[in-house]
Amino acid sequence: MTLILQAVINGLMTGTLIAVPAIGFSAIFAVLRYPNFAIASYATIGAFAAWWANAILGLPVIPAIAIAFLITGCIGVGAEETALKRLRGNGALIVAIASIALNLVLENIVRFIFGNDMKGYDLPLLRDIRFGDLRIGPQQLQSLALAVVIMAVMFLFLRYTRFGKAMRAVADNPDLARLKGIDPARIAIVTVFLGAGLAGVGGVLIGLDTSIDPLTGYRVLLSVFAAAVLGGLGSIPGAVVGALALGIAEELALIVVPATYRTAVGFVAILIMLTFRPRGILGERAA
Amino acid sequence: MSADPAQLLTVDGVTAGYGASEEILKGTSLRVAPGEIVSIIGPNGAGKSTLLKTIAGLVQARKGSIVIGGTDVTTEGALGRARHGIGFVPQERNVFGAMSVADNLEISGFQDPTQVKRRAEELYERYPMLAQKRGALARTLSGGQRQILAMAMGLMNAPSLLLLDEPTAGLSPRAAEELFEAIVALNRGGLPILMVEQHALEALEISTRGYVLVAGRNSREGPGPALATDPEIRRLFLGG
Repeated sequence: MTLILQAVINGLMTGTLIAVPAIGFSAIFAVLRYPNFAIASYATIGAFAAWWANAILGLPVIPAIAIAFLITGCIGVGAEETALKRLRGNGALIVAIASIALNLVLENIVRFIFGNDMKGYDLPLLRDIRFGDLRIGPQQLQSLALAVVIMAVMFLFLRYTRFGKAMRAVADNPDLARLKGIDPARIAIVTVFLGAGLAGVGGVLIGLDTSIDPLTGYRVLLSVFAAAVLGGLGSIPGAVVGALALGIAEELALIVVPATYRTAVGFVAILIMLTFRPRGILGERAA
Repeated sequence: MSADPAQLLTVDGVTAGYGASEEILKGTSLRVAPGEIVSIIGPNGAGKSTLLKTIAGLVQARKGSIVIGGTDVTTEGALGRARHGIGFVPQERNVFGAMSVADNLEISGFQDPTQVKRRAEELYERYPMLAQKRGALARTLSGGQRQILAMAMGLMNAPSLLLLDEPTAGLSPRAAEELFEAIVALNRGGLPILMVEQHALEALEISTRGYVLVAGRNSREGPGPALATDPEIRRLFLGG
C-alpha cells in the first residue's frame, strides 16, 4: 500500500512538472493548429537560461525562472516568425516536421554553447520530508508549488484578461475572431511567447528535480505530447489532467516494470486514447 | 455601377469563389444606402452567402471593387473590413461556443475596449434574455437565443453596416418572427442592414430594396415590397 501511495505522490509531482510545458504545447496547438515539437528545445533552452542565471550569475531560483521564461518566449517567437510561420500555409504536417528539424537545430546550438556535460542548479541540499513511510523532497515540493502557481496564473490570464479571452476566441473560431476585429497573427505571437515561455519554465522545474543537459527537453517530449493527447489536443485544462494522469500511470507502472520501459507508458497512453477516445479526456478546441 | 458617394456600400462587378478555378460570383453588383434594409434572395447555389462573405472579407474578390463609406476596401481582409465598420453575422458557427454569453459580447467589442461595458449593458437591456443567460456557455443556448447573441455580437463594434447571413435558418416560425422584429427594430434605430434570407417573402416585405441573384449574377432588383408581390419572383423563388 505504501508503495502505491508513494507512486501516486511521485506521479502527481512528475505530472505537475510535465503539465507546465504541456500547457504551452496545447496553447500553441489550440491557436495555430499544429503540434510544435520544438517545445522540447524550448524546455532545454529554458533550463540552461535559468542555470546561467542561477549558477553563474548567482540569482535565486524564482528570478532565474522568470529570466528563463522571457528568454525562451523570445526565442520561441523568433523561431516561429523566421522558420515556421512561412510554412503554415502548407498544412499542419509540414509545420510539425519542420518543428522537429528546428528542435534539432536549437538543441545543437545549446550543445555548442554549453557542452554536453550535465549541469546542476545551485541549490541547498535538504533532507526529504517524511510522512510515516512516505518521502517527499523539499525541492520537489517547491517545484510543485511553483508549477501550481504558474498554472493558476495561466488560467486567470485566459479567463479574465482581454488577451486571454482573445486567445480562446481565436482557438475556437479564427474566422469569427477576425470578423470581431481580433488579429489572429498578433494573438499567435502572444500564444507562441507564452507557450515557449511555459516550456522553458517546465525545463527549469524538471532540471531543479534532477540535472540538466542538452537532451533535457527531448527526454520529456513524449510525455508532454502524450499528456496533451490524453487531455485532448488544444485543451489547456486537458493538458493538466492528461499530465497528472500520465505522471501517475508512469509511476504506478514502475512498480511492475523496469524503469527502462517508463516511456512505453506514454506510447501506450496515446495508443489507447486515440483508439477509444480520439478527442481526449477534455477534448475541445477551445481552452 | 461605379462608387456613389451617397451609398454606404457599393459592390461593383465582383467575381469571387473558393477554389482556384471555381467562380461563384460572376460580376455581381449591389449597393446599400444609409438607413436601408436590403435583402438578397435567389435559388440555392446562387452565391448569396458567398457575396456576403466577400463583402465581409472572408472570401477575396478576384475582380471588381468593394467600396465602404467612400473607401475602396477590395484588397483588405476581414480584419480591415471590420475596422471599416462592417459587422458580419455568419449563418453557422457565429458564436464562440466554449465561452460564456458575457465573454462572447466582451470579445466582440475587442476593437474598442473602452466602450465594451457600456455597449454590453445596452444590449442586455435590449435583449433581456442575454442578461439572464450572461453566465451560460454559448453552446448551451437554443437556436433562437444563439442567433440573438450572434446579432448582439455583431453590434458590439458599433458597425456602420450589419450583414446577416440567413439569420432565421433553423429557427421555429415564432423565433423567426421575433428575429425579424428585432432586425426591423435595429434598422429603425438607424442601422443599415444587408441580409441573405431563406424566408424570402418575409425578408422582402421588411426590406427597402431587394436583389435577386441567379448563378452568381444580378437577375432583378427593386423595392422589397414590390419584389415580394411580383408574380414571376413568387413563382420562381417563393413557390407562390
